[in-house]
Amino acid sequence: MIKRKTIFGALVMGITMLFSSCEGEPTIDEGLDVIDSDTLVDENFEDMFESPDVDYHLPSALQVASIFKKSGMAYNTGVINSTENSSDYTTQIQQMLNFGVYSADLAYCVTNDQSNEARQLIAVIKELADAQGMSAVFDNKDLMDRFDMNLEIQDSIEVIMVEIHERTEEYMEENDMTHTSAVHYAGAWVEGMYLGVYDFEHSDDNENVGSQIIEQMEILKNIVKGLKDPKNEEYDVKWVITDLENIQSVYDNFESVIAFDNDESAIQLTLTEDEFASIASLIKDVRAKMVNA
Amino acid sequence: MNKKGILFLAFFGVALLFAQTVSNLTEFKANIKSNKSEAKKEIRPYLYDGYKTTYFNYKTYKQVKEVEIYLFNNTEYRLAFNGKSAPKNVKVKIYNADKTNKNRILLKELSNVSGKNTVIQTKDLNTAYKSVNKKASRLKRVFVNYEIPATKGANNSKPKIEDRGAVVLVMGYKN
Repeated sequence: MIKRKTIFGALVMGITMLFSSCEGEPTIDEGLDVIDSDTLVDENFEDMFESPDVDYHLPSALQVASIFKKSGMAYNTGVINSTENSSDYTTQIQQMLNFGVYSADLAYCVTNDQSNEARQLIAVIKELADAQGMSAVFDNKDLMDRFDMNLEIQDSIEVIMVEIHERTEEYMEENDMTHTSAVHYAGAWVEGMYLGVYDFEHSDDNENVGSQIIEQMEILKNIVKGLKDPKNEEYDVKWVITDLENIQSVYDNFESVIAFDNDESAIQLTLTEDEFASIASLIKDVRAKMVNA
Repeated sequence: MNKKGILFLAFFGVALLFAQTVSNLTEFKANIKSNKSEAKKEIRPYLYDGYKTTYFNYKTYKQVKEVEIYLFNNTEYRLAFNGKSAPKNVKVKIYNADKTNKNRILLKELSNVSGKNTVIQTKDLNTAYKSVNKKASRLKRVFVNYEIPATKGANNSKPKIEDRGAVVLVMGYKN
């Protein structure tokens, strides 16, 4: 009798361990009574999630940098967030936002052939990824070696940047962290806008850069939507949402924007100097809050 | 058969079912990754910008899932749809506005992306847009609608693995 019980128990335990190890889920409690089909179906159901009925795709930092570059934006030395600041980012929200800020800076440097800056930036991005538990994204020596070897070759370094972007995307999806990419993206968007605003204010030939800044405003609503994901409530994102919503609201109430939206035949939206100065000031304020720990 | 024997058989049956479901789900996830790789190849030589996997479960009623995509000035894009993880006829419709807009313009329709790779270019969408709206200069965004057909016998509240589906969309831009 004892022998039969032992075999039976071992068989049950073996099957349970086999299945739980397949999924990487917590093991099922000992004994037969706690296992019922409803529990099993519910566990599976978590993996049967559906995408929202309304979703969006945001452009990569590299594409945004490339668009700004094509619009005539020059490389401005000393404007990116100093890599020396990275050690000051000790809270989760600072690390997440500045992961995005530095990603935009990296894209900016790569598209402008600034290899030394790019090397320093990839190092701090890796550090911030490690701090957020995303070490696996850069956990590939070959990737970093290739980055170092190709620093002077823009096309190759862009391909490696795409690979890093892709690894980050996949890591986020596989680890149910897609909500946090909205926080990264908020940092990247603000930094991209800041670089654009800086160039606009310091360049005489700035018409196209101004147009690109306006175009980038289009995606702000979805960034805020992403930040409002309930899963992001565990981070201190409220102030980011408030500041970005304020930028959106100020922009939406510009006379130029209202007139453009009400005129179906209008082709190009142009802001007045005052309107541009107003939006630029708000961008600089939120950027300062992000990078000054 | 004694009580323990019945209990064992019951457990064994449930465990087998569970194992099969886990195995199918693992396979499903692996397929999605492979679908993405295939779609990525289709956008070449454009530079990869990202992907969006739209997951769904077939239900007894028709569903529409929408993805908004931004198109920036002077940039040409390729959109590659891989429907190899969508077993039942999924239709793709691309519009200039979201589904709340009754006057939106249908720019492109792919009658069935299930089981294959399909690639489109945004220059064709812009041409379609400008042919309808003569005053327009270009599209600033598009809205991809996936029409997921109603499926008889689907379990709406507790979907089964055989009613699981996804379409992978990979975006690329001309650098």
